[in-house]
Amino acid sequence: MKKMILAASALAGFAAPAFAQDAVTLQLKWVTQAQFAGYYVALENGYYEEENLDVTILPGGPDVAPPQVLAGGGADVMVDWMPSALAVREGGLPVVNIAQPFASGGLMLACWKDTGIEGPEDFAGRTIGVWFGGNEYPLFSWMSQLGIATDGSEGGVTILRQGFNVDPLIQRQADCISVMSYNEYWQIIDAGVTPEEIVTFSYSDFDVDVLEDGLWVKEESLEDPAFVDRMARFVRASMRGWKWAEENPSEAAMIVLDNDETGAQTEAHQIRMMGEIAKLTAGSDGVLDEAAYERTVATLMSGGSDPVISAMPEGAWTHAITDLALQ
Amino acid sequence: MNLIAGAGLFWLGAWALNAWLTNGKWANTVPVRIFVPLLFGVTLLMIWELVVRGLQVPVVILPPPSQIAVTLMGSLPILWADLVQTFFKGALSGFAIGCASAVVMAVVVDRYDYLRRGLLPVGNFMAALPIVGTAPILVMWFGFGWQSKAAVVVLMVFFPMLVNTVAGLRDTSVMQRDLMRTYGADYWQTLFKLRLPAALPFMFNGLKIASTLALIGAIVAEFFGSPTQGIGFRISVANGGLALDMVWSAILVGSIAACLMYGLIAGLERWATFWHPSQRR
Repeated sequence: MKKMILAASALAGFAAPAFAQDAVTLQLKWVTQAQFAGYYVALENGYYEEENLDVTILPGGPDVAPPQVLAGGGADVMVDWMPSALAVREGGLPVVNIAQPFASGGLMLACWKDTGIEGPEDFAGRTIGVWFGGNEYPLFSWMSQLGIATDGSEGGVTILRQGFNVDPLIQRQADCISVMSYNEYWQIIDAGVTPEEIVTFSYSDFDVDVLEDGLWVKEESLEDPAFVDRMARFVRASMRGWKWAEENPSEAAMIVLDNDETGAQTEAHQIRMMGEIAKLTAGSDGVLDEAAYERTVATLMSGGSDPVISAMPEGAWTHAITDLALQ
Repeated sequence: MNLIAGAGLFWLGAWALNAWLTNGKWANTVPVRIFVPLLFGVTLLMIWELVVRGLQVPVVILPPPSQIAVTLMGSLPILWADLVQTFFKGALSGFAIGCASAVVMAVVVDRYDYLRRGLLPVGNFMAALPIVGTAPILVMWFGFGWQSKAAVVVLMVFFPMLVNTVAGLRDTSVMQRDLMRTYGADYWQTLFKLRLPAALPFMFNGLKIASTLALIGAIVAEFFGSPTQGIGFRISVANGGLALDMVWSAILVGSIAACLMYGLIAGLERWATFWHPSQRR
């Protein structure tokens, strides 16, 4: 009897550390979809558990501004695009990039071919749609570099605020709309438009692309060594999730679907999205490429009279977490 | 901490001053009657300012009123253009179309009883449609301009105005209608000389309700697709860009416009329905 009690308490002693997992809350930039597959894969395949982390993934949406959630303490780390995060940093909320899973971006402009637009020089006088909420910066930056006014004046472009669908293009309310290579472009194709009827302009082809999904935290959180350690483990497990998702896109899409609480996503769309996302995460081990960062900053600051950010950001990124994670 | 203490002291001081004023012998004079609510408002703003600064609340959560005022003063041209787009082009046109069609429909419905029994439930259903559902559909039908916002406002404003006007048209007593008959008045003369004036208190009631709904409808409709102008556009874009002081400035401009419109209608009401018991001082 005594031996059994001793054995039981010894086992309980070994089990105790497993209960003391560290909690991490991640705020996504948008709703649950394959754009964030790496994190869901890490959750589902137990990579976070192996790092002793209890991760809660909060989906975003039209009404959620990830920096606001971060500021309010609702999340420890957020997924956000670099222009939005740098603008927020300049606006008074110091956020710092700790990892960059997306090496390249999928932002494009999709136009009807019959409008006769063949290149950026043809944009003047046209109606172009863009979402706002932090996604308008690349477009305004590009127009500024081309010298095309965006305030609706003569010879400029008329900006339309598009909702989160492709109706403005389909209904011909806009000549061009902003699309992601992995999402809205395929919605246009699904709506019955053939690829030959559409001409796309990828921001990266014109060297006006910016870094997209990255992991950002509040600067003051990095002063806590325990937090830094938690983030390093989180980044390590997340990057494992991303690499697994790249190699197993269909299974990753199914994991995302299993975690989609809204039930709004479809299998075909997610599998296709995962295939496109894999092209964007390819070649990244999570470490922010300094040259790519400088290019993004240069693009954002060259906005003429209306730059996205007016001053060189200092301390907007750190390799400390990724160094710890990948050693 | 000093700022929080300051906020508490200011509040107690203002409260004491207001209590002394309202219990003193000047309590019913016009200057005091204006000063007391004004002091209350100023106290609320002071407490907001001092608490937000004292607790160092991040600006992206709640900015202090002084920062909002600075942003407002600095963005007057932008906000004026937004107001023209939302209020004058969207809300007012929808308000005019909706109320005019509601009055016409009310006269028709009053004339033919079977229409009343058929159309009022349909109007009720239209008013109950959630505007976050109808706004995207109307934007798809009418485009991104002010026309779709006016359409949303018409949907929201039509039923309250209809119901109020129908109730007002029925508010004449048998004695009054008989008197018109003894004067040899036909249907149209009775309508324009007795029943519509008698319905005015109800109609103004409907107009006041409709004016608040009109601005809400126009602003919410802009969340779902708009050109790059408008109070609703400004609120949601500034919120997305975390410029909360601009959000509050736009909210303030919209509220002032709505208050002025309500005040205008109330003033018209006092002029047109001076004979009604509700207008007695």
